[in-house]
Amino acid sequence: MNDIAIDLQRIVKTYKSGSIEVQALRGVTLRIERGEYVAIMGPSGSGKSTLMNVIGCLDRPTSGNYHLDGIDLSALDDRALAKIRLEKLGFIFQGFNLLPRTDAMKNVSLPLFYAKVSPRERRERARAALAEVGLADRGHHKPSELSGGQQQRVAIARALINNPAVLLADEPTGNLDSTTSEEILALFESLHRAGRTIVVVTHDEEVAERADRVVRLRDGLVLSDTPTARGHFSGGSIVPQEATPQS
Amino acid sequence: MLDYIRETLELMQANLTRTILTLIGLVVGVAAIISIQVAAAGMAAAVSGAFRGINVNTFFIFPKSTQGSTQRANLGLSDLTLLEQNVPGIETAIPFGQTRTIVSAGHQHVMLKFGGESYRRFSTAPVVAGHAIARTDVENASPVCVLSSKAFARLFPHAVDPSTVLGQSVYVGPKRYVIVGVLGPATLSTASLGFDINNDVVIPYTTFYNDYQRGRPLFGIQVLGSRDATLATLEANAKRVLSQAHGGSIYQTFDFGFFTKQIDGFFGVVGTIVSAVGAISLLVAGIGIMNILFVSVSERTREIGIRRAIGASRATILIQFFVEAFVLAFSGSLVGMLAGLGIGELAQQLFIARISGTIAALPWTQAMLLATLFATVVTLVFGTLPALRAASVDPIEALRYE
Repeated sequence: MNDIAIDLQRIVKTYKSGSIEVQALRGVTLRIERGEYVAIMGPSGSGKSTLMNVIGCLDRPTSGNYHLDGIDLSALDDRALAKIRLEKLGFIFQGFNLLPRTDAMKNVSLPLFYAKVSPRERRERARAALAEVGLADRGHHKPSELSGGQQQRVAIARALINNPAVLLADEPTGNLDSTTSEEILALFESLHRAGRTIVVVTHDEEVAERADRVVRLRDGLVLSDTPTARGHFSGGSIVPQEATPQS
Repeated sequence: MLDYIRETLELMQANLTRTILTLIGLVVGVAAIISIQVAAAGMAAAVSGAFRGINVNTFFIFPKSTQGSTQRANLGLSDLTLLEQNVPGIETAIPFGQTRTIVSAGHQHVMLKFGGESYRRFSTAPVVAGHAIARTDVENASPVCVLSSKAFARLFPHAVDPSTVLGQSVYVGPKRYVIVGVLGPATLSTASLGFDINNDVVIPYTTFYNDYQRGRPLFGIQVLGSRDATLATLEANAKRVLSQAHGGSIYQTFDFGFFTKQIDGFFGVVGTIVSAVGAISLLVAGIGIMNILFVSVSERTREIGIRRAIGASRATILIQFFVEAFVLAFSGSLVGMLAGLGIGELAQQLFIARISGTIAALPWTQAMLLATLFATVVTLVFGTLPALRAASVDPIEALRYE
């Protein structure tokens, strides 16, 4: 086991658009420990979406090293990266991104389907995951039959079901009203207390404040990396946490 | 895998009209190809069924019509012996002769086919009462007859047991023939081919010759080959022997292979045309399916992105869309197969059964294999591009896509 969940070293990402090269990330070094709750902030164009895609293994850095849960990702092919996304990462999106024609149970158990888990076990684990986010009785509802907050909780259950090393949330409250946002943030906090590693990408200061640590990006570089008022550590030095993810 | 199949079926249901329109071409193509196969198989069975009533090692020999008028080519009774003695493999040869005439028994007067038969029988119908024409009947040209089951039923409508009519007489004009045997129930006949050599009432061919053919050259000779002789050899030898005896005159032979060839030829042509139409509609259908799959891929770009983000590899997405293509193609093929079998069965019931009285069993296994084959080919040929496009969807782009 590794205490470092995410280890980014001098990550550079360059996009080519015709003859113009755009440097989205210009050497980001960032280390996130197991059990941390980190917010990544920055104005649009700061590279935070690109960083999230790199952390989420949806995009490859042009240069630099990335270790996720102790695994060096630079040499992995598409199939292996898909496996990493499946086993090590849980995605939570602004737009929920549930499969529209599929009920909550099926949505939640989809990662298990790709992990080739038996249908019986898929059902049992999906039921348990829905119960964990307080939607035990909504298993057979389709996304269109659920409120925004409920849909996001289904998405969180889906992200949790493979017991990932990192929960990666992209503007998780962006499409929700303040009351529902509060519910989702409270859920994140309880997951954090239970030992989950959570990375939230947001431009919302209120959302960022709920994390332990805020990383601010500007022009593809880390501008600041500071603990919040709630943070368990200070001065940028990292205090290892005892908590481990629960299954 | 099962989940993909279920999902595809749900999608097809959700877009029912679109699905039906897409699959019509496939249904038509598969139905056309399968129905023509069923019909051809039915026809083949009908032809062999039609020949079941008669010994298949039978052929006919006639003087070539262009020289029918020349005396030299005329066939006579001596030619029968000539053939029997000089061509190995010929069991018997009799004058070809058949008339439709009024046959009477008591108060019944019925139009029946009436002709000669040898003690070595051309007919394969079983004898159910009495006996067939005997050798002595032929040698003595006895005034006896054997009735087919049809003749028995028509001439003796009130008799139940055929053995009760043995010893009674039938009349053809002034001539009287004693019934010595009755044949079994309706054998299939060659009547459907426009030409039936199974007679309703037969008498010894010598009797028939004496009573109806005397003094005229024979119209033709009907030959029965032994079971193990090949018709082609027999026919060639018979022609040669007769030709030598008649100073180089030319004879032609004729057997049931002729009909089989004609029918095979007909179904060959029809089959080729229908298969070509089927192939074209399969091509059109395949393009339709490809189109619908492309639509499906672009409609579901976001879904593909979600699946990829969650952990589906490119290969998994590729498989998903192949499964989708296959389910689509297979359901079309399956409907086409059922329609094709249905049309084939209908054709058999309406036309072929009337001709032959037989219906060939539906080729379920073959049809199933064919449908699966079509579905697979269509999937591989027309599903590959859409599946590749689905697999190449960039999850980052797809998730940004609203």
